[in-house]
Amino acid sequence: MSNNKLTVIDREGSTHRLEWEPDQTLMEALRDNDLPVLASCGGTASCATCHVFLEREAFDTLGERSEDELELLVEAEGYQACGSRLSCQLDFSRELNGITVTLAPED
Amino acid sequence: MHDPEANTRKPMNREAMKHELMAGPAAPVVIVGAGHSGVAVAAGLRARGWEGGILLLEAEKGTPYERPPLSKELLKDGAPDESAVLRKEKFYQDKRIDRVAGIAVDSVDRAGRTVLLSDGSRRDYHRLVIATGSRARALTVPGAALPGVQALRTRDDALELKRLLVAGARVAIIGAGYIGLEVAAAAAAKGCEVTVLEFQDRVMSRVTSAPVSHHFEQLHQRHGVRFVFSAAVTDIEGDHRAERVVTADGHVFQADVVLAGIGVVPNQELAAEAGLECRDGILVDGHGVTSDPAIYATGDVTRFTSPIDGASQRLECIQNAQAQADRVAAHITGQPAAVPEIPWFWTVQHGVRLQTAGVRRPDDDVIVRGNPAGGSFSVVYLRDGRVAAVDTIGGLADFRPARKLIARGDRMDPALAADPRVPLTEATLTGAVLNAPAPIHADPATARS
Ligand SMILES: Cc1cc2nc3c(=O)[nH]c(=O)nc-3n(C[C@H](O)[C@H](O)[C@H](O)COP(=O)(O)OP(=O)(O)OC[C@H]3O[C@@H](n4cnc5c(N)ncnc54)[C@H](O)[C@@H]3O)c2cc1C
Ligand code: FES
Repeated sequence: MSNNKLTVIDREGSTHRLEWEPDQTLMEALRDNDLPVLASCGGTASCATCHVFLEREAFDTLGERSEDELELLVEAEGYQACGSRLSCQLDFSRELNGITVTLAPED
Repeated sequence: MHDPEANTRKPMNREAMKHELMAGPAAPVVIVGAGHSGVAVAAGLRARGWEGGILLLEAEKGTPYERPPLSKELLKDGAPDESAVLRKEKFYQDKRIDRVAGIAVDSVDRAGRTVLLSDGSRRDYHRLVIATGSRARALTVPGAALPGVQALRTRDDALELKRLLVAGARVAIIGAGYIGLEVAAAAAAKGCEVTVLEFQDRVMSRVTSAPVSHHFEQLHQRHGVRFVFSAAVTDIEGDHRAERVVTADGHVFQADVVLAGIGVVPNQELAAEAGLECRDGILVDGHGVTSDPAIYATGDVTRFTSPIDGASQRLECIQNAQAQADRVAAHITGQPAAVPEIPWFWTVQHGVRLQTAGVRRPDDDVIVRGNPAGGSFSVVYLRDGRVAAVDTIGGLADFRPARKLIARGDRMDPALAADPRVPLTEATLTGAVLNAPAPIHADPATARS
């Protein structure tokens, strides 16, 4: 499978283009490309330091958020009901090729 | 302790400094220990633009891996016999992080700025980072060395344990801490007969309050786990393998497998033998600098002063391993570090998550928020009226607000904090004023006083 292309807007508003490899979660793709995603729980939906905003179109292609994910997100800085996701919970999928991801503010 | 300012760099033209720092000296930053913290230092240095060499030395073979799954996912039936790696092999290549795996570091020659490896080779360092973590505290009673007696710290430990935990096996767990209880849950799920022997009178007594302990005791009991409290193990008996565990009051527990989960000991020997200041942990300042300005330490192996309440502490959690690593990477590259994070920890037992923000102390006031019988509740720990820590059980809604409140040091209204309908952030004393029923015919002149 080929990589997905990804556009990332960081917390300063700068744009980065990167490759998302099939064996990475979105969090891993961000973290391994040096974006400031702490991921302090290692991707187990516990810390919310991997919170990102997706565009509505991409968001709608994804399944429901788990209860843990939702509870963490609702309390997060800048929560968007139809945009916020924990990037560690997003596996690679072709449907997400070419999306733009915005890093949520830290709190 | 040494003066934390002693090694602050002299002011230098920022660009010149940046250039000198990033181009990197001849010798690499050498990191001893490729656990959560060591790997995070390596990744953090590159993320912060460090161009010099990075050498990661690790005693264990293989790709550095995550520890939390060792007592959780990995033990489950049908789960793959491997723990998630911290970073994929390719990451180390891409980031030019050199690694030696399977050779321990034996000693540090501070004057020569070099480390000696167990294969006799030497590696020079520009800066040394000691990230050697901790090891499971060894059981010292007679019989502790018998086959069938296990500790759990490494991937090999976990695989051995997984092999032993078969349906019907009688499993005695010594110590009702996080690891003992996570293993108890995994063993019960596999159909083992599980007995937990605990010296104190409740589970997780070091880290949480009685209401939380009791909630988890009941949870385990519903899954068939048996607890024996006030149990002091004196012997492990058996001819060629562990067969029985004996306690001080003369009770004998039949066991095919014995797991000792009695805490951890920092791997500080390397530092102590090199003359670095240690006191149950390598002493470091807020940047992770030890008593030698060229040597840093980070993660489980360190002891430091809490930036939040000034307590001397050793923290054994992923959050701290990563946060301290970032401070080390920031200091080595001469960059500002992130604001200190509120420490936090999580455990999952029988699918129920306990997540703690902050560090509780036994004399904190305990406020139960919500109904434990409902399966989801929180416990707020107040110290001098301010939130010191919060446990969330079976739900994470209070977790982030808790971290905010601890950081801000707001005074809380205990009655509001106990009411789960009031958001935690509004249970402060200022919130109390806002939430109080509006006075009728309020007189603006008196309302302000
Ligand atoms: C089973 C288990 C479950 C856990 N679950 C959780 C959890 O759910 N949440 C949580 O927050 N924390 C959890 N922890 C704690 C967490 O794993 C530790 O806090 C974390 O691993 C500390 O990271 P570290 O890098 O300081 O040490 P470690 O991860 O222990 O890494 C230290 C490394 O240094 C190496 N080393 C030591 N001495 C030498 C030497 N002389 N030469 C070369 N290499 C050396 C070791 O082999 C080791 O790989 C758990 C721990 C265990 C064991
Ligand atoms: S990495 Fe912690 S929630 Fe995603």
